[in-house]
Amino acid sequence: MNGEAAILAVSGLTSGYGEAIVVRGVSVAVAPGEIVALLGKNGMGKSTLLKTVMGFLPAREGQVTLHGRDVTRDPPYRVARQAIAYTPQEQAIFQDLSVGDNLRLGQPDARWFDEELARVGEVFPFLKERLGQRAGTLSGGEQKMMLVARALMARPKLMLVDEITEGLQPSIIQRLAKALLAERARTGMAMLLVEQNVRFALEVADRWAVVKLGEIDDEGRSDAPDAAARIAKHLSV
Amino acid sequence: MGVLLLDIVTTAAILFAVASGLMIILGVMKLINFAHGAFLTIGGYAAYATTQLGWNPWLAIPFAALVGFVLGLIVERAIVRPLYARPLDAILATWGLGIIIGQVITIVFGRQVQFVQSPISGAIEFLGQSYSTYRLVLVALAAVLALALTALLYYTRFGLNARAVIMNEDLARGLGIDSTRVRLTTFGLGAALASMAGALITPLISVDPNLGLPWLVNSFMLVLVSGISIPGLMVASLILGGAQVVVSTYLSAILGGLTIVVLAAVILRIRPQGLFSG
Repeated sequence: MNGEAAILAVSGLTSGYGEAIVVRGVSVAVAPGEIVALLGKNGMGKSTLLKTVMGFLPAREGQVTLHGRDVTRDPPYRVARQAIAYTPQEQAIFQDLSVGDNLRLGQPDARWFDEELARVGEVFPFLKERLGQRAGTLSGGEQKMMLVARALMARPKLMLVDEITEGLQPSIIQRLAKALLAERARTGMAMLLVEQNVRFALEVADRWAVVKLGEIDDEGRSDAPDAAARIAKHLSV
Repeated sequence: MGVLLLDIVTTAAILFAVASGLMIILGVMKLINFAHGAFLTIGGYAAYATTQLGWNPWLAIPFAALVGFVLGLIVERAIVRPLYARPLDAILATWGLGIIIGQVITIVFGRQVQFVQSPISGAIEFLGQSYSTYRLVLVALAAVLALALTALLYYTRFGLNARAVIMNEDLARGLGIDSTRVRLTTFGLGAALASMAGALITPLISVDPNLGLPWLVNSFMLVLVSGISIPGLMVASLILGGAQVVVSTYLSAILGGLTIVVLAAVILRIRPQGLFSG
């Protein structure tokens, strides 16, 4: 993948928490409209990588560019304003705000709210009927759907998705996969997914990479016949 | 009895106006602004300056708010922001700032007591009682203030962003919200509210460099009891302010002055999260 054409280009990125180095010289690029999945066991640095890209953690080495612009030292709000939607794994919604307010936070321009709500409401119809409900009272699956809907409200060019399938039943996972692929087909949105659900990742992503001890250990195309076997081998070790 | 009820309502209105700025800053920034009393004093002197300049006394309110807002922005940028990562130091810094503001005011205006012109004087018949027109107007102004604050927090983008920052600052930042700007605006707003309240109360009291100090303690107690919510602060002002009026009227003014602090301490001992917090 040519770094200059990438919507997201991460090169030689190193970061961590305090003294601990968690991500070690990782390079990954995502082209417009492309979906890349980062796979790996817990604690291997996948989520830390996303947090560093977003600016929540400082990069010790390396560079992050979005649309060709260096955002390595940018604060999270500035990164997010580059048409980037980030769905964190934990504490991802405002539990005490209403569903409507959560969605409003996804679309900074109030003039577009109704139009975008109608659009995401086609994918997740329950949201339109429950705008006044406190988000924390939604079921786990509904919260994840609202999370994706909130991310889609601003029509992002790139979505950074951290383990969206965790703890969800297969039918909800299928629904999310369908929604994400439909959005990609409609708007050309790119995605960088962090996942442990290999089946979901291979269904949605064009390419995959396995992260091990903070480094890219292996990578390939999702449509390769041996993709699942190679990933399984890495994850079983 | 009628006068007592009116005293309770007007005292509650004054307390609400005085404490609202402190509550906004504490709610959004998790910062106890010990310079709140000093901003009240600044508002008092803004009203005094209005009188000295011969302006319409009503102009004291927006003028004080403007002065407070601008100074609040400067203070946040220069003193509070560098200490976000050290909240205790930030609180102590506002305490020190309050002392400095008091000293600067003393140097500029002197220690002597000053008086400002009231926008409205005299009394009107209300509920069969002759009562201070200005105190009644204060009730209306406090109601407008409560509505405006509610509208700001619940019906504007700034309010939504501020609530998001209160609940989960990192998540808010990840959604493109500049929490630094939210904090800056909030501190400016809190300081503006404090100064405005200072201007509002000066026609009822005299102006001196320590004007804000006794109000700071009562405001702090009211905000804690309120559970940091606008309706909570209204009710806390009514209950504690009402108790203050009753004690002052039937026991002694000195005891009345202690009522809010003592009652708040008792309430917080029983319900540390405040009366109106989950």
